[in-house]
Amino acid sequence: MLTVLLSVLIVSSVSAGLALVLVVADRFVANYGECTITINEQKKLKVQGGKNVLAALTEEKLFIPSACGGRGTCGYCKVRATEGAGPVLPTETPFLTPKEIEDNVRLSCQIKIRNDLKIEIPEELLAVKEYEAVCSRITDLTYDMKHFHFELRDPPTIDFVPGQYIQLLCPQYKGNREEVYRAYSVASDPADKTIIDLIIRRVPNGICTTWCFDFLKEGDTVRFNGPYGEFRLSQTDAPMIWVAGASGMAPFVSLLYQMRNERITRPTTYFFGGNKVKDMFYLDRMRAFEKELPNFRFVPVVAAPDEGEQWDGERGLVTQALERADADLSGHEGYLCGSPGMIDAAIKVMNQLGIPNERIFYDKFE
Amino acid sequence: MERLPQEKRLDYLLRSSKIVAEGFLGDDARSLEEIIETDISALVHMGCTPEQVAERMQELTAIAVPHMGNPVRIDDWLEVVSQDYKGQIICPWPHPVRLPKRVTTARRLDTEESIRWSDLNIHMIAEHGFFEGHGSAFRIEPALLVRVIFEDFAGPV
Repeated sequence: MLTVLLSVLIVSSVSAGLALVLVVADRFVANYGECTITINEQKKLKVQGGKNVLAALTEEKLFIPSACGGRGTCGYCKVRATEGAGPVLPTETPFLTPKEIEDNVRLSCQIKIRNDLKIEIPEELLAVKEYEAVCSRITDLTYDMKHFHFELRDPPTIDFVPGQYIQLLCPQYKGNREEVYRAYSVASDPADKTIIDLIIRRVPNGICTTWCFDFLKEGDTVRFNGPYGEFRLSQTDAPMIWVAGASGMAPFVSLLYQMRNERITRPTTYFFGGNKVKDMFYLDRMRAFEKELPNFRFVPVVAAPDEGEQWDGERGLVTQALERADADLSGHEGYLCGSPGMIDAAIKVMNQLGIPNERIFYDKFE
Repeated sequence: MERLPQEKRLDYLLRSSKIVAEGFLGDDARSLEEIIETDISALVHMGCTPEQVAERMQELTAIAVPHMGNPVRIDDWLEVVSQDYKGQIICPWPHPVRLPKRVTTARRLDTEESIRWSDLNIHMIAEHGFFEGHGSAFRIEPALLVRVIFEDFAGPV
């Protein structure tokens, strides 16, 4: 028995020792030299081999969306690696579909640079920058939602398309030992390039929202990168139906500023849903937009006001309010922002009212 | 016994704040295996399996989701409500599972006992028999869960 135990111990120790030697050698001895990453067959970056692609690109101020900061746990940092990336690693396969693997899609945080390689990324990511800003105002909107106002420091201005989002860096804090990024839609006026506004709802036990609500203070410096995303107004004159709930309000605030600035007069009806009267916010601001935009109508909908609560607006689910409109919306476009459940239900109603899927645009909480 | 690299990585993911604030194990010093074994034993003692409770949790969640954050009564003894939040969450085990950040709360109207769970809880109970460690924010106590979600639960078998 003792011999068996000793043998197991010796084999385990030797294996562990060899593994350690390999790790140390790879870290300190292996020298991959300078390698070239060719991006979209046009941009060439000279980087030191040995690090991963996501880290190398970030050092070169080229940002790929990533929520976990490159630790292989979120699966967001996908790129198409057409040459030199080596085989797909077991750490990547959970996040890749068979089709993606066939198309050479990889997690950029898991590709170690050992030689020259070629990757393809969406063109708009080449315009993404990292920003430093100061949180100059935090305002309570409801019991679980806050508005955060940031003044940009470096670089001092940002260009974004209303509907786009940024990735806010959540630093380490008590209870969170890792830096992570989380995506939030921009809610500010695109004409004021020196600030951004975010509307954030607290997620129970959420890493980033816990920091935003319990640790971030006015005067603190934050970092974020962006802008990202394809959600935006189409270039048509079609009348629009908007549906959102909770922090799904954010991109629509920015779209309203855009409509005001660019004198866009497309008829627009915005259904905004909440469960209780206490979930409603920005009602005055929306009424102000109604005055500035003659073809804009705001329809707040409360699902179930508490007994004795004063509420003169629409009642029921936001999708039921839309259904009650009972209009032919076949010439309309639909815009949605909110939870997958709300979006799926709203798409169904929009389809029933005549809006085909190809004219429905949405930003799902994903 | 030396643990496999994937076991070490799982333990690290569960204890770290990579996926949820303060991790999945809370202040529970027991090993993952011990936590799972203890909770499954408690369930079996009550005449249930992880699959059964997960199926019931899924059923209740599916009833609540279309009501978009509004409470819905099931018969005359249970009320459930589901809230969706921005973002998705992954399973710490090494497989491609990405779920919406959704929290469902069930409340028994006769006893006023209530319990909440996330979609990730349902998955981790069904697939891994994992109810999270003591002190974690989304720890599910098997006994309380069974008492709340099954109408006719009579006690340990």
